[in-house]
Amino acid sequence: MKILKLKYFGETLIPIEAENITPDLITGKQLSEIERLTLYTGNREHKLSEFFDISGDVSNEVGSQMILVEGETSLVKYIGSSMSSGKIIIEGNTGMHLGSKMTGGEIQVKGSVDDWAGAEMSGGYIRVNGNAGNRLGSGYRGSSEGMTGGVIVVDGNVGQECGALLRRGMIVIRGAVAPFAGVHMNGGQIFAFGKVSKRLGASAKGNGGFIACLGGVEQMLPTYKYDSTYKPNFMRVYLQQLSENFGVKEAEKFMDTSFERYSGDLACGGNNEIFIASAE
Amino acid sequence: MSFNFNGVEIDDTFAEGFTMWGSRIIVTALNRKWANIAAQNMTGFATSVIACDCEAGIEREVPSESTPDHRPGTAIMVFGFSKGKLSGSMLNRIGQCVLTCPTSAIFNGLPQNESDEMLDIGKSLRFFGDGYQVKMRMNDGLGERVRFWRIPVMQGEFLTEELYGAKKAVAGGNFLIMGEEEKSTLEAAERAVEAIHTVPMIITPFPGGLCRSGSKVGSKYAFLKASTNTPFCPTIKHTFKGSNAPEKVNSIIEIVLNGLDESSVRRAMGFGIKAAVEAGGVKKITAVNFGGKLGKFKIGLRESLEAT
Repeated sequence: MKILKLKYFGETLIPIEAENITPDLITGKQLSEIERLTLYTGNREHKLSEFFDISGDVSNEVGSQMILVEGETSLVKYIGSSMSSGKIIIEGNTGMHLGSKMTGGEIQVKGSVDDWAGAEMSGGYIRVNGNAGNRLGSGYRGSSEGMTGGVIVVDGNVGQECGALLRRGMIVIRGAVAPFAGVHMNGGQIFAFGKVSKRLGASAKGNGGFIACLGGVEQMLPTYKYDSTYKPNFMRVYLQQLSENFGVKEAEKFMDTSFERYSGDLACGGNNEIFIASAE
Repeated sequence: MSFNFNGVEIDDTFAEGFTMWGSRIIVTALNRKWANIAAQNMTGFATSVIACDCEAGIEREVPSESTPDHRPGTAIMVFGFSKGKLSGSMLNRIGQCVLTCPTSAIFNGLPQNESDEMLDIGKSLRFFGDGYQVKMRMNDGLGERVRFWRIPVMQGEFLTEELYGAKKAVAGGNFLIMGEEEKSTLEAAERAVEAIHTVPMIITPFPGGLCRSGSKVGSKYAFLKASTNTPFCPTIKHTFKGSNAPEKVNSIIEIVLNGLDESSVRRAMGFGIKAAVEAGGVKKITAVNFGGKLGKFKIGLRESLEAT
């Protein structure tokens, strides 16, 4: 894999829109061309080189291009947006809309990420080692569907409305989850290993979607109905995958755990499922 | 024509294999006992398409760490004369023998990239859920997409994969072990079956892998399409004109094997013949064929031994 290094040195307090920082738009270009790629602060155009030191190698194939982003980029938005292949590693924190609408490839954030990460993504893998903000893997305002494929794993906590309008794909949170997780979801899976705050699954329709709560729930909505406590075999298949493919080793502890099954949201005639791991 | 292999006469002939559609599934359960019960039930009454709807057998036991749900599993292979017949047999057998078996779940054992077709058996089975079945998706947008169905049942929930791989496979691999007496011939045949199962993707569909009553096509009775293989019945070797049972042979056991490809069947036959010979007490080994009229695969005994 060829590595292009982008070292952030900008000092602006206005967020930077950096949709061009994606392997798709860098592959096959000369360094001089990459330096001239456009970024925006507000309505002003800038060159990439006005905010980043650029060095390294560029591949001719997007799948073998890695972008390494260094420095404090928490005000840099849209990194990896719409990417289809390749890999991005962000050494620190980063801003909003990371990997939004991405269709493939991999993004790893070693710090934390702001709101709307993975919004409406349809494929690929986002790994956040720190925390994630609000509306992780969700749909944009006015959209009927949020994330429709791919996997997001957050090692820390996540903000509100994570997985809103989730349609397909999987979101895994190893830390705590703020209110309204999976609001309006209509498919897909959310796994939460930390405590899940209230109003999870509000207005969720179902379509095979579920929220698995392995670290407890603050409060269930009254519009979810308890059905049974059992050991769902399908959960073992997911937990095994989480452990083996995504390094979520704590998943293995729940292989033989009983889960309480709730279905709802009855307020909208939904058959979404919420599984809550029984305290052993 | 024959040749000598470790002191045993081997007919220089061939087993005549023919094309069938084959599939492989993995049944898992809470423990080994129930995984095997489900597998044994599913593969019951499936020795030969002469009178059964399909041919099926247990391929191997799969350790927990190698199954999708990390429970003990048993791999089963099913063979049918067409995709439709195979699919129908599998649907009925899974529905009646696996779905009903406590704690069972079922997974595809033949990946899509190794299959000629994917049979939508789980998709049909889901209707048993009467509207309460739940679609389960994995790997959307990342990796190879897999679909399952979760069907609510009285004990809890039954999990089945949606699609099962099937491919054009090879049936009818066989050889006959001819011994001086029943006990040693049986022991040699048992050793042969053990050796055959060291080759992946092979089943021996008869009881314990052995057929003690091989058949020939037709009968003196018009209503019977197959009857005892008179040329190889030692008890009538001097009564039946044209007997193929040698003078010192008083017991013959046939081993029939099916596999997903010709080379696996050939190797498995070779391992089986070798093991039978090494067991001792075997006088001769031959194979059944119809002069090339039945199937397109001519699996020579000499080539089988060379393939091991």
